Amino acid sequence: MTAGVMIVAGALAGVGGAALGALLPQRLRVAGAASLIWVACALEAVAAIQVLATRQPVILHSAQLLPMTGVDIVLSPFGALFVLLVALVAAPASLHAVGYARHGLDTRTAAAALPLFVTSMLLVPQAGSVATFMVLWELMALFSLMLVLVDHARSEAARSAGAWYATLTHAGAAFILVAFLMLAAGSSGQTFAAVAHHASRLGPVVRGSAFVVALVGFGSKAGMVPFHVWLPKAHPEAPGPVSALMSGAMVALGVYGIVLMGYVLLGGGPGWWWLLALALGAVSALYGALHAASSTDLKRLLAYSTTDNVGLSIMALGVSGYLAATQHRLLAALALVAALVLLINHAAFKGALFLSAGSVQHATGTRDLDQLGGLLRRMPQSGAMFLIAAAATSALPPLNGFIGEWLLFQSLLHGSGAGSTAGDVAIPLAVSAMALTAGLTVVAFVKAAGVGFLGRPRSAAAEQAVEVAWSMRLGVGVLVGACVVLGVVPGAMLPAVEAAAQSALHGMPAAQLSSGLDLQLAGVRGALAPAEVAVALVVAFLAVAGLRRALARRPAPRLTEAWGCGRELQTARMQYTAASFAEPVQRVFDDVLRPVHDLDLSHPAESRYFIESATYHSTVGDVVERGLYVPVIRALRHWGRIARGLQPGSVHRYLGYGFGALVVILIAVAVLG
Amino acid sequence: MTGSFYASALEIAVSVVLLAAMVTLWRRSVRAIVRSLAVQGFGLATVAAVLGFHLGDPGLLVVAALVLGAKAVVIPYLLTRLVRVDPGSRETQPLVNVPASLVAAGALTFLAFAATRSVTAVVPSIAGRLIPVGLASMLVGFFAMFTRRKAVSQIVGLLLVDNGVALVAFLATSGVPLLVELGASLDVVLAVVVLQVLAVQLRTRLGAFDLDQLTELHD
Amino acid sequence: MNASLLAGEALAAVVQVVALALGAPVLLGLMRKVRAHFEGRVGQPVVQPLRDLRKLFRKERMRPDQATWIFPAAPVVLVATVAVAGAISPLVTTRPALGGSADLFALVYLLLIGSTVLALAGMDSGTAFGGMGASRAVTIGALAEPALLVTILALSFGAHSSNLPAIVQATVLHPEILATPQRLFSLGALVVVVVAESGRLPVDNPATHLELTMIHEAMILEYAGPDLALVTVGEAMRLALLLGILVNVVAPWGVGAADSLPAIALGVVALAVKVTAAGVALAVFEVFTAKMRLFRLPELLAGAFMLGVLAVVSGLVVR
Repeated sequence: MTAGVMIVAGALAGVGGAALGALLPQRLRVAGAASLIWVACALEAVAAIQVLATRQPVILHSAQLLPMTGVDIVLSPFGALFVLLVALVAAPASLHAVGYARHGLDTRTAAAALPLFVTSMLLVPQAGSVATFMVLWELMALFSLMLVLVDHARSEAARSAGAWYATLTHAGAAFILVAFLMLAAGSSGQTFAAVAHHASRLGPVVRGSAFVVALVGFGSKAGMVPFHVWLPKAHPEAPGPVSALMSGAMVALGVYGIVLMGYVLLGGGPGWWWLLALALGAVSALYGALHAASSTDLKRLLAYSTTDNVGLSIMALGVSGYLAATQHRLLAALALVAALVLLINHAAFKGALFLSAGSVQHATGTRDLDQLGGLLRRMPQSGAMFLIAAAATSALPPLNGFIGEWLLFQSLLHGSGAGSTAGDVAIPLAVSAMALTAGLTVVAFVKAAGVGFLGRPRSAAAEQAVEVAWSMRLGVGVLVGACVVLGVVPGAMLPAVEAAAQSALHGMPAAQLSSGLDLQLAGVRGALAPAEVAVALVVAFLAVAGLRRALARRPAPRLTEAWGCGRELQTARMQYTAASFAEPVQRVFDDVLRPVHDLDLSHPAESRYFIESATYHSTVGDVVERGLYVPVIRALRHWGRIARGLQPGSVHRYLGYGFGALVVILIAVAVLG
Repeated sequence: MTGSFYASALEIAVSVVLLAAMVTLWRRSVRAIVRSLAVQGFGLATVAAVLGFHLGDPGLLVVAALVLGAKAVVIPYLLTRLVRVDPGSRETQPLVNVPASLVAAGALTFLAFAATRSVTAVVPSIAGRLIPVGLASMLVGFFAMFTRRKAVSQIVGLLLVDNGVALVAFLATSGVPLLVELGASLDVVLAVVVLQVLAVQLRTRLGAFDLDQLTELHD
Repeated sequence: MNASLLAGEALAAVVQVVALALGAPVLLGLMRKVRAHFEGRVGQPVVQPLRDLRKLFRKERMRPDQATWIFPAAPVVLVATVAVAGAISPLVTTRPALGGSADLFALVYLLLIGSTVLALAGMDSGTAFGGMGASRAVTIGALAEPALLVTILALSFGAHSSNLPAIVQATVLHPEILATPQRLFSLGALVVVVVAESGRLPVDNPATHLELTMIHEAMILEYAGPDLALVTVGEAMRLALLLGILVNVVAPWGVGAADSLPAIALGVVALAVKVTAAGVALAVFEVFTAKMRLFRLPELLAGAFMLGVLAVVSGLVVR
């Protein structure tokens, strides 16, 4: 089977999955849809691997499918990497969905939308023309919106999340379309190749504004601050596998779009474009990490952490473009590899974390960390996998998160002092932002793992939790396995990433990372041997554990009651809650987080000096949402109210409007024509 | 004086000036701030002395001695007395909290570095390359002046700006004329004396040196 | 690379780990002795921590009833990560066996594993104190991180590499860079970060007995017997390792190639002398320092960050 046939067959399998999801009886729906999702993922992935291996793009064209323009599919090595990334998340997520089905995924709509969502994500990076891209992009947004809304009948929060998501994603699509039109206007065709050819002859103002507009549009999909506000609303409300798909795969396509615009279509640009991206990425990373550290809802925490990780990737991308602009081509390729590696790693660990959060919700019915606790004892395998994925997110070696941060740090280190003053200033600041982000991520994930999975159960639901079905565990397990493998043997993914980076940077040299067991950067001094470190860690662990066993008289520990300052019968309420765990961070950063504290004291009637009961609430809202979006919404409401005067309900008035508009247009034509 | 020794002595002395400016933002105790001002004066005098030895200019050595006397001894002593008079002014109450001030100071340093890139490009000497550091300590002084509340810490801010200007002058022109520096230093000593008198007056009238209370005077 | 050189490097790495494991408790004892001296006490013998460890290893292992496998695993992970970090750092020789496999950045994250796992173990015990210690410890760690990485960036400028042996070697070859403001600022920042990361005064009081003021001690409150011994060893090794890296960045003399036994022995002696000097200096400083309020710590760490920024800027200015 040639790659082209496999691409078409994969897409058809996805559509077939939707048919199965819509037609099968309720019990079998999700399983049927999932099985065809695997077929689709497998076919597309094989085609992608073939393209990456041969470095020859696959080009398909059909004039029939879309009126006027036709459909163009171009699977370049760069797009192929993203196809693989989507498949990496989609296959385990749909496996997990089989077990998760009864939480809203087994309706006809949801079971049909899930394969279509996955298929549209698999096809977006293969789009070869503006029209094809926009259609697939909007389909992806539409099907994901349907999946966010599965709970809309029961939950007000889901309806509100859907509204936010729909608004931002469509505003984003409008920006993307404008950016494409700016470049495509006057070009000989609307395929990306034609647009890129035309764009190279445009003036700097048009090119610059197209890049900025596209950065806004794709940034809103990628969850970049200040367009991130839909993430912490939509991710928690979507079912577990769907949020894994959205956070692991769909958000990465936002970054794909920025690279597509900046490198593939515009062929790079002046330094200020990329320093802008670097700044926005750094702000996103910091803001996301801060909010992740202070969230008490598990999935909200993960959603903010997504903003954080995508921010790091956009930072790497910004560094790459800046270095390309200052003619450091080798380093630019290295930084682009770092950006792509960060995205792949994020897909693996964040996918695993969102699926785990789905498992937790399945087992306990809640995602409020303060209602969880003690889950590692009750769900040993799910809990252990959550811990590994959390460690990977915190960039602890020898897991995959570390590789990405290491590459980012190396590209920052070797990029500093390489160019203009602005870059010299920006890069140390970026290093500090990255470092603080890393520290805050550790806070967030020690909190998530410690409060949610360790200690005593904090509610009856957590007390009675049991391990979830094997399909859900296996889904998480595949992704956790990817975290370990990609961390210990990053050489497994690097050739593919390099091929992708080179195809995006066309004409530039490859980063030339040696793809053996250790990472050796060419042209600069930097080396890392993750496998050696991993083996050393395992050997040291076994040696120390053996030493303890040999020295201790009684190897098995005795179970005792924990120390409570002499107080007996400790309860779960004495533990630190998620809010109290985050309190120091919140206090240090209260200028940014602006937490709202409420302390209600009630006194007995006899005296004001005694306290009968005290309740304390502390909530952390989103400053960007409050400061940026709420005023806009209020203004829109105001204008809406004024515009309502135009609608008296009289048919004659409406006919009159139409007549008036026609006359005005005719006058305009007469005068201007 | 050999070239490399001259370079590192100058670099370190200039760094001391900037570091002392940063320390005034870092510490809360007014005494510690005054101490670091004295250290800065010492650093500035060292810069003048190192330049003087390097260029073989006795005038600069005289300036160094004067700077040492005025900025490292006399002015800090006067300020310490001022603090001793009013126990209420021992702690500065920053309008911008300390970590944020320090981060801002870091940003100002980068700004100074970026802004003087074109100047340092045309001044090839070792001293010329260090101009951004002088500008940075000036900016930090300004920052200290408008974010610190107590009268004493404001005076310190003023002196920081003055030291920064002097440092830039030393580095850019290898020394201001003796008379000018003399006049400027005297000027500052006078200003400190006047401010001290004012502050003591304020204290006897209002009972505190807190400048925020001055806003209440207008009604 | 020939076999004897490889064997020498492997030997040097083993020597480094063993020296850390045995020397660190003695360093702790020495620092206590210095403190006692300044407080007018005789103090315990310098080898007392080693005796304590022997006693602890003989005692019974205990585990809170709510704890999971995290709790017994954490001390082992702590010691293992510090040992690996010790094996890859240029302490005795600039070319330890695994020296090429990781850089300063990796070293920081290796040490982060230990502190993260200890924080999790604190939460695992299901008590108020465990959570309290964990929360404070990870917050301080997060705030120390920017200072640390910016300083690493500044240090890496000189050697054009973040590889620690390369940085140390660059200093050996060009000792004059020690007197640059860049190095001095880096040193200042590193000292603060080392104090924060190893939980010494004024960040944390290692000798406190009041639970509410504890940071590190609160986290490990539930440990007893051999597990406590491992935690103590691990923490002492971390302190010794950080001091060792610090002194080798500042004064890289005696750190040589590991081609012969005398060279390794010389390296060990030099390291012992330098770390002892640094430890004594730290202990003297601690005598005159009071613990800072928890919420004043951001000021201290922001100061360290600022020093790191100054180091970077002076690197840019002077270049």
